[in-house]
Amino acid sequence: MPQNIIDVDHLSIRFNLGNIKVDNLKEFTIRRIKHELTFQEFLALKDVDLHVQRGEAWGLIGTNGSGKSTLLKAITGILKPYKGTIKVRGRIAPMIELGAGFDQELTARENIFLNGAVLGYSRKFMEEHFDEIVEFAELQRFLDSPIKNYSSGMKARLGFAVATMVAPEILICDEVLSVGDASFRKRCNARMERMLSGGTTLLYVSHDINSVVKLCDHVLWLDHGEVVMQGDPSVVCSAYLERQDKVYSYARKKKEDREIVESTKKFDYLVVGAGLFGSVFADQAKKAGKSAVVIDRRDHIGGNIYTERIDGIDVHRYGAHIFHTSDARIWRYINRYCKFNRFVNSPVARTGSELYNLPFNMNTFSKMWGVFTPEEAQAKIDEQKSEYIAGRLEERRKAGEHILMPDELEALAAARAAEAAAAAGTDAAAGAGAATADLLKAAGLPDNAIVTDEGIFIPQNLEEQAIALVGTDIYEKLVKHYTEKQWGRPCSELPAFIIRRLPLRFTYDNNYFNDPWQGIPVGGYTQIIESMLSGVPVLTGMDYKTFAAKYPGKFRKVIYTGPIDEYFDYQFGHLQYRTVRFETERLLKPNFQGNAVVNYTGPEVPWTRIIEHKWFEYGKDLEGQDIPTTVISREYSEEWKPGMEPYYPVNDDANSKLYEKYLELAKEKKNVTFAGRLGTYSYYNMDQVILQAWKLAKKELKTHDGAMKEAVAESE
Amino acid sequence: MGNKWKVRFHTFHKYSALLQELVKRDIKLKYRRSVLGYLWSVLNPLLIMIVLTVVFSSMFQKNIENYPVYLLTGRVLFDFMRNATQSGLKSVTNNAALLKKTYIPKYIFTLSKATSTMVDTVFSLGAFFIVMIATRTTFHWTLVYLPVIILQVYVFSLGVSFLLAALQVMFHDMEYIYHAIITAWMYMTPLFYPLENLPNLLQLIIKSVNPMYYYVASFRDITLAGNMPGIRLIIGGWLWGFAALAIGVFVFQKKKDQFILYL
Repeated sequence: MPQNIIDVDHLSIRFNLGNIKVDNLKEFTIRRIKHELTFQEFLALKDVDLHVQRGEAWGLIGTNGSGKSTLLKAITGILKPYKGTIKVRGRIAPMIELGAGFDQELTARENIFLNGAVLGYSRKFMEEHFDEIVEFAELQRFLDSPIKNYSSGMKARLGFAVATMVAPEILICDEVLSVGDASFRKRCNARMERMLSGGTTLLYVSHDINSVVKLCDHVLWLDHGEVVMQGDPSVVCSAYLERQDKVYSYARKKKEDREIVESTKKFDYLVVGAGLFGSVFADQAKKAGKSAVVIDRRDHIGGNIYTERIDGIDVHRYGAHIFHTSDARIWRYINRYCKFNRFVNSPVARTGSELYNLPFNMNTFSKMWGVFTPEEAQAKIDEQKSEYIAGRLEERRKAGEHILMPDELEALAAARAAEAAAAAGTDAAAGAGAATADLLKAAGLPDNAIVTDEGIFIPQNLEEQAIALVGTDIYEKLVKHYTEKQWGRPCSELPAFIIRRLPLRFTYDNNYFNDPWQGIPVGGYTQIIESMLSGVPVLTGMDYKTFAAKYPGKFRKVIYTGPIDEYFDYQFGHLQYRTVRFETERLLKPNFQGNAVVNYTGPEVPWTRIIEHKWFEYGKDLEGQDIPTTVISREYSEEWKPGMEPYYPVNDDANSKLYEKYLELAKEKKNVTFAGRLGTYSYYNMDQVILQAWKLAKKELKTHDGAMKEAVAESE
Repeated sequence: MGNKWKVRFHTFHKYSALLQELVKRDIKLKYRRSVLGYLWSVLNPLLIMIVLTVVFSSMFQKNIENYPVYLLTGRVLFDFMRNATQSGLKSVTNNAALLKKTYIPKYIFTLSKATSTMVDTVFSLGAFFIVMIATRTTFHWTLVYLPVIILQVYVFSLGVSFLLAALQVMFHDMEYIYHAIITAWMYMTPLFYPLENLPNLLQLIIKSVNPMYYYVASFRDITLAGNMPGIRLIIGGWLWGFAALAIGVFVFQKKKDQFILYL
């Protein structure tokens, strides 16, 4: 296989923004003294790969500031890589910006030699090609007048003629052919095409997409320094143009929204957080004829359900979101905004060299033990459970612990009841024949106590609890390491209450959710939020405190869906969360794991799962075409620290108490309503979020959306 | 290591044509801009010399025999250094447009400025010789040493230029700071006054830390006194030259990859 002429691997280019702004000694000294020298880093290119074969013509497209010219400069050798490598195996002729290589005072004749020298040609070589250049540039008559008298078109001609006098191995062309008259452009194009067919490799930057499609056989699309897409010119360019249209209409809405907010208009509601809750509420407010303005600290709308499109794949940036509900009205409601597909969440779990279906069902059991019927599976699980419990009880007995026997339970319950009755002065009512659960409760035992013939077993930690529920095999292979990765501690050191139930399903059904309605919006979640927020002014990149300080008296009431502790400046301390971190990677292959969600339940890898986003939509783009690349996100559980992205509230005593304290403060804030996952410190599925937002809307707005009203009334 | 130098040498060789073109451009533009052309480059120092002679000669007549030549020896060398460093200072920033678009070794521009100033200085020596003839000064054989002095000033100026060019890229106000420095420097160099007029301490300071003193004093030795410069002046001149070059090249090399971020 022939070597590539250009190999760019994992290239990152870094600029130091802080330094760029300080370019004089006076300011530098002053800031030094005041300790204000900032070293803000900015990556102009992030992990860019480009492999060009000899003779290919590559077009580079992207908006201004996307990194196109930076990439060309790096290839030319002007910029040094911060990370990654660049290998160029050929002579590069940069097509210099008009007149940049010329001295205005010199004549054309002198400039030809100067410019040739700039390109690294010797004087002798230039003399040999002199006539040819003059002829192509058609400047015979003006050879000896200073170039400052030339028109820009004449300069362009001269520049092009010098740069292309010999066919270079690599020609770099940065937006130069947009000047000059039609006939010259035609000749330039003809010359370029001749060079291309003669084996010259071309790197071409232009905003003129038509010329890119015409000249190039490959296109690389850059955005904010990252590769969005590369490949066939027509495919990449049309995706780019589509995005441009969208960006343009976004930009227009953004500008209009800003104008509305900055006008003297006052709003009924300020909705803090453009996530699902805030958007549903704002939509309802709009429909009820109330005015609302929505702000979000992030630079996009949608909160955690935000999806962004990469290579035609809707990437769930903040983790997998699968919509499921058992409420037909919520299902109908959400389907108004978008078409949902028939996605069914059927994750698989990998551990060591084995793979099992989730949730724990007959497929799992069958593969694990070679069993076929539910009875066999049940027997296997029961056997493992009771063996384990018997062993643990034996150990405890040996350690001198008293183990309560089942026949003692009734007596204990009666005794406790009598004690309680005596204390309360009423008759004991606990009679014989009560259910075991009631007896346990009456006897004052924790509700996870398990009654066996060998004695009553009270799991002391998560490990004991889990094995008592599902047996040793399932625990070891599918629960233990996964839970340890999630919590960062051995299961034997985790409290038992984290797992109260581990549902086992004795059918061959891999559907994770029990809800009758389930699916993924075709084209991602962001469009749902967009349509909910159409007609509602939205400011992104704006946090509550800034907004409230900038526009006091702009709004009557606040619906605050941000973290409640942050609102009160953490005066009682931080509420804790369990958080996850995603490492998202774009891969140049069509299929990575064959399923949207794969859990990693073994100790071999540090991540808890990998999401392959394309399988939420069956690997097709909006036109129904197969997508040649894929995007995966590795999910890691992390210990949460203040400042990290909060995901799951921790429902232990300490945090619940802390939340209660904040709730007291919140009650005093008459014109602020705390809502949503972060505002009420509770985890909600998406359908629950919608219901919560409806409830608030009903209370606040007295709206009469038929389905909604009914659903809310029922839930109350 | 050897390979690195090979690559460097190869790059220099490849761009030596550019260096020539740049020097040619500077010379051409300088003499094309005016009607008098080359004559101007001779006339200019002559006129200034005449003015200064008229003003100062009575003041220093006691100490200095041949004031016009005394004055011109100082001015020729100091102007050489000043022009070279002031144009060298801007050599990188002025070519920002080009450096941003294509790969050219950045030192080529600084090198070309020092070189073209040297060529210009050699041209303007015409004025100097005219004055020598006019004042009936003896042409001593020691004048053959002049090229060495010019080379010393060239090496020194080149070093200072590299340092200044690098600083100018990062701090755009370097230009003004340097302007103040060079004015002070000029007065601290015995160009139009005799060194002996200064207090002893100041004399000692100038003799030891002003590099330009070494070159000007050498030049006066070979023209006015007619003897070779003392060993102290020769060695000191080279030491200053190479020290400046070493520092300049070091700073320039260290910072050159960052230039693009500031241009």
